[in-house]
Amino acid sequence: MPVREEILRRLKSAVKIANIDRPAKPTLSEMTMNREQMIQRFQIELAAQTGVLYQVGNKEDARRILTDIIKAENLKSFIASADHIHGIHITSLCSENGIPVTFPGDFKERDTLREAAFNADAGITSADFGVAETGTIGIIFNPKHPRLISIAPPVHIAVMSVKDLYPVYENVMEKFFLNEKNIPSQFSFITGPSATADIQGIAFKGMHGPKKIFVIMMMDDS
Amino acid sequence: MVDVEGGSNDMNVSLFIPCTVDVMMPEIGVATHGLLTNLGVQTIYHKEQTCCGQPLFNAGYRDQARKAAKHFIDVFGEDEWIVSPSGSCVCMVKYHYPELLEDEPLWHNRAQDLAGRIYELSQFVVDILKVSDVGAKYAGKVAYHESCHILRGLNISDQPKKLIAGVEGTQLVDFNNSAACCGFGGEFSIHYPEISEAMVKDKVTNFITSGADILLLCEPGCLLNISGYLHRNHPGRKAQHLACFLVENIKKV
Amino acid sequence: MRADVGKFMETARQELKNQQSQMFLMMVSLGAPLLRQIGMSSFPDPVAAESYVRAIRAEVIARMPELLEEFERSATARGAKVLWARDAAQANNMILDIARQRNVSYVMKGKSMITEEIGLNEYLISNGIEALETDLGEVITQNLSLPPFHLVGPAINVPPAKISKAFLKKGIIEKETIDPVELGGGARKYLREKFRHLQMGIVGINMAVAQTGTIINVENEGNIRLIKSSPKTLVAIMSLEKVIPTMEDAVYMTRILARNCTGQKLTTYVSMDTGPKKHDELDGPEELFIIILDNGRSAIYENHHTREILKCIRCGACLNTCPVYTKIGGYPYGSTYCGPIGQVLTPMLSGMEKTTDLYRACTLCGMCKKICPAGIDHPSLLLSYRAREIDGNKKKGKKLENAMASLVSMGMSHRWLWNLGVNMTRPLLNRFAHDGAINNIPVGVQGWFRCRDLQAMPAKTFHETWDDLQSDSVPSEKTKHMEDS
Repeated sequence: MPVREEILRRLKSAVKIANIDRPAKPTLSEMTMNREQMIQRFQIELAAQTGVLYQVGNKEDARRILTDIIKAENLKSFIASADHIHGIHITSLCSENGIPVTFPGDFKERDTLREAAFNADAGITSADFGVAETGTIGIIFNPKHPRLISIAPPVHIAVMSVKDLYPVYENVMEKFFLNEKNIPSQFSFITGPSATADIQGIAFKGMHGPKKIFVIMMMDDS
Repeated sequence: MVDVEGGSNDMNVSLFIPCTVDVMMPEIGVATHGLLTNLGVQTIYHKEQTCCGQPLFNAGYRDQARKAAKHFIDVFGEDEWIVSPSGSCVCMVKYHYPELLEDEPLWHNRAQDLAGRIYELSQFVVDILKVSDVGAKYAGKVAYHESCHILRGLNISDQPKKLIAGVEGTQLVDFNNSAACCGFGGEFSIHYPEISEAMVKDKVTNFITSGADILLLCEPGCLLNISGYLHRNHPGRKAQHLACFLVENIKKV
Repeated sequence: MRADVGKFMETARQELKNQQSQMFLMMVSLGAPLLRQIGMSSFPDPVAAESYVRAIRAEVIARMPELLEEFERSATARGAKVLWARDAAQANNMILDIARQRNVSYVMKGKSMITEEIGLNEYLISNGIEALETDLGEVITQNLSLPPFHLVGPAINVPPAKISKAFLKKGIIEKETIDPVELGGGARKYLREKFRHLQMGIVGINMAVAQTGTIINVENEGNIRLIKSSPKTLVAIMSLEKVIPTMEDAVYMTRILARNCTGQKLTTYVSMDTGPKKHDELDGPEELFIIILDNGRSAIYENHHTREILKCIRCGACLNTCPVYTKIGGYPYGSTYCGPIGQVLTPMLSGMEKTTDLYRACTLCGMCKKICPAGIDHPSLLLSYRAREIDGNKKKGKKLENAMASLVSMGMSHRWLWNLGVNMTRPLLNRFAHDGAINNIPVGVQGWFRCRDLQAMPAKTFHETWDDLQSDSVPSEKTKHMEDS
C-alpha cells in the first residue's frame, strides 16, 4: 500500500472522538481603532522594534525624506520594486542623489536579480498593507514585485498608503486573501528589522535580513 | 469554641489522615482534629483507613493502587464530609480514583460520588464552615508555600491565606517563587536526589530571604522534604503545617 | 557532545555544576515566563485567547486525516508537489534524491526540529551533500556539535569565546571576538556567500493551512525568507500535526505562538507560501516539495490519550516553567525535544525502555499543564507511561518489584497488616536516629538523605493516638463494629 494510504488509513481507523465546539472568537481591542489611533499604535509598535515611521503629506515630502535617509545612511545603491511607488518617481530620486538603482524589469532571470539584491545598500519597495496591531507591514509578492528586494539588502524602505492601514491581521486576510482563485505565491508580514538573541540572549538587529527598516506612510488620500 | 456560620454542631466530619501523617507526623492529624472540634464540628475517624494509594499510583502500580482505592472507598463510602490535611491525597481520590476505576462501572460511580464529598482542610474551614478567624494569635511573620497539588490541582490559594490573615498579630510576608515546586514529588526526591536538592535549596533560600519566622504549608509531603532539609542545613529554621500552627496558637480563653 | 538519554542523570549532574548553564537557566526561568505574561496580558481577555487556541488545536486533532487530505488537495492544486513519508529513512532518502537529481552540492536549512529528529543533516553530509544551518543558534550547535539546550534558543548558553573558536576554525570570522554582534555579523557574511549560489533550500513548516494549501514559517532572522526566495528548489517538511484548518486560524495562532515562545506579539517575519512561484515571477522556488512525515505520529494518534501530544505548537513555554528543566537544561533529555514536551514525546518516538528517566524525573507539579497554550496534560501522560512500564515489567517476568508493591497494597487494604509493617519498620529505622532525626541509612531510600534528614518515626501512629482523643468525638459506627468483631 502506498505510504499515503497507509498513513491516512491508520489515522482514519483510530476511533473518533466528537469534534470540539469552538468557543466564540475573542475580540481584540484593536478592532475598534480609528485612523488616528491606528497610526499612533503603528508608530509605537514599529519604534519598539527600532523601525522608523515617517508620515508624509505628498510625494514631494516623500522625496525629501528619502533623500535625508539616503544621506544619513550613506546609501550608495538601490534596488527597487518599481519605478513608481505611490507616486514617487524612483529613477529621478536616485539620479538626483547620484546613485544607481535597478528594477525587476532589468533582470531576465533569478541569478542576476539575486546578485543585484545582494549587492544593493538598500531595497525600496511598496508595502501592500500595514497592520496597526503590531506595527507590521505586508508585501504580496508577484511577478512585478520579487521577494529578495525587501529581505536581502541591509536597509529596507517601505512606502505605503495610510489607506492600506488596518487594525488587525484579520482585516488583511478578509481584504486580500478571500478570493481563493487569487492567492499569491508568497506574502509576508514584516515587523521591524531582522533580529536575533541566540547568543547569550543578547539581542541585535540585522542577522540575515535588513538591519534597519523605514516606513514611509503616504497620508494623502488621493 | 468558635461560632461557625456554615456548619452546625451536628456536622460529622470524617478525618482522612494521610499515611505520612499517620506514620511520621501524627501531630498534624491531632491538630486537624483539634481545629475542627474547636469549630464545633464532630469528627469521625475510621480506624480501617491506611493510605489513598498515591505512592503506588505515581510509581505506575495501577493494579495495586486500585486495591487501595477500593479499600478507601469502602471505608469512606458513606461519609458526607471527608476532610484531609493534604492536597495531593485529596487530588488522588478526586481525580485519579474515577480514572483508576473507569473499567468497573459500579466502583467508578462510587468513586465519582465520593469525589464530590472530599475536601482539603483549609478549603473546608473557609469555604464550608465559612470561618477565617479560628481564634489564634501569633505575633510574627510567616510565609506560605503554595504546594503543587493544592494550588494547581485543587485551585486552593485564598483559603490558607485567609486563615493566616485571621491570626491576630501575624504578618504574611511575600515569598519569592512561593508557587514553585519544592522538589518532593514522592519517589522523585529519592530517585533524583541531586535535582531534588537543587529545588528544595531554592525553596529554602527564598524562605530565608523572606524574613519570615515560620514557613507554613498544607501538604505533609512538602513538609517532610522542607523540614528535613532545614534540619540538616539550617537547624533552628522552622516549617510547619498550617493546622499545627493554628491550633498551637489558639488563644486560651 | 552526542545527546544520549541513557545518560540522563550523568549529564544532569554535570549541568547542575556548570555555572554557565545555571546562569542561563536562571535567566530563562525568571525572564521567559514574565515576557510571556506581558505578551498574553496584551489581550483583553487572555484566558479566552488561550481557550480559543486550545479549541483550535483540539479540532486539528479531531479532524486530522480530513485536514491533511484537504491540505494536500489545496497545495497540489496550486502546484506544490506533496509527498508522504512513513519514517525518517524514507524522508531522508526523498530529500537526498531530490538533491542528487538536481546535482546540488549543498543545501541550506531553516531551523526545523523535525529535520533534527530525523537526522537529516548527518544523512545528507554522509552522502556527500553539505547541509548548512542558517539560523544563528543552529549554526552554533552545528559548528560545535552540541545538542539543543533549549527548544527555541538551542545555543543560548554557549559562551561567546567558545563560539568564536569554532567560527574562527570554520572561517566564519577572521579574528577572535566575544562580541555577539560581531559573531552574528560574521555568520551573516559567511552564509550570504553561500546564499549567493544556493540552488536548493530546506525548511520546516510551522503551520500547513488546509483551506488554501499554504505553508507558514515564523522567524526573526530572515534566513527562512532568503531560503524561500532565492533557490530554484524548495523542500518544506512537516510532521502530520502541523496542519491547521483555515488562514484565519493560522493568523490567530501566530499571535499565541509568538507570545508563548519569546513574549513577542509577533515574530519579525511571517511568510506564507502557496505553491511554487507563479509563472513569470523572477524569484521564489520553481519547484516546491512538501513532505508530510509520519515518523511515529500515526501510532501516537491511534491512542486517545497520547494523541494530545500532537497538539504541541513548539512554543517552549513548558520548558521555561518546568522546575526540573530549569535546573538541568536541555542536554540531559538526549534528543531534539527537551523539557516536558520532550518527556512526553520522546518515549513515544524512541521507545519506553530507553527513556525511563524522561517519564520518571518529574514531580508532577503541573506547571507545564497549566501554561501549555495547546492544552496538553503532560503529568497525566507521564503517569500513564509509568503504568505502561510497570505493566511491561510484569509481562517480562520482573516479579520482585511487583510483589513488593502488592505487599504494600495489601498493607493499604488491611489495617492490621499496615500496623504490623509500621511496628516492624519503626525500630529498624529509628536505630539510625540521633537526637530524634535520621541522617542516613545503610540501604534503601538513600537518595533522600543526600541533603535531608528524616525525623525519627514517632512511637505511636495517629491511629494509635486516636484512642487518647476519643473523648472529644463520636466513634464511628464502623469503628465500633470493627472493634467489636
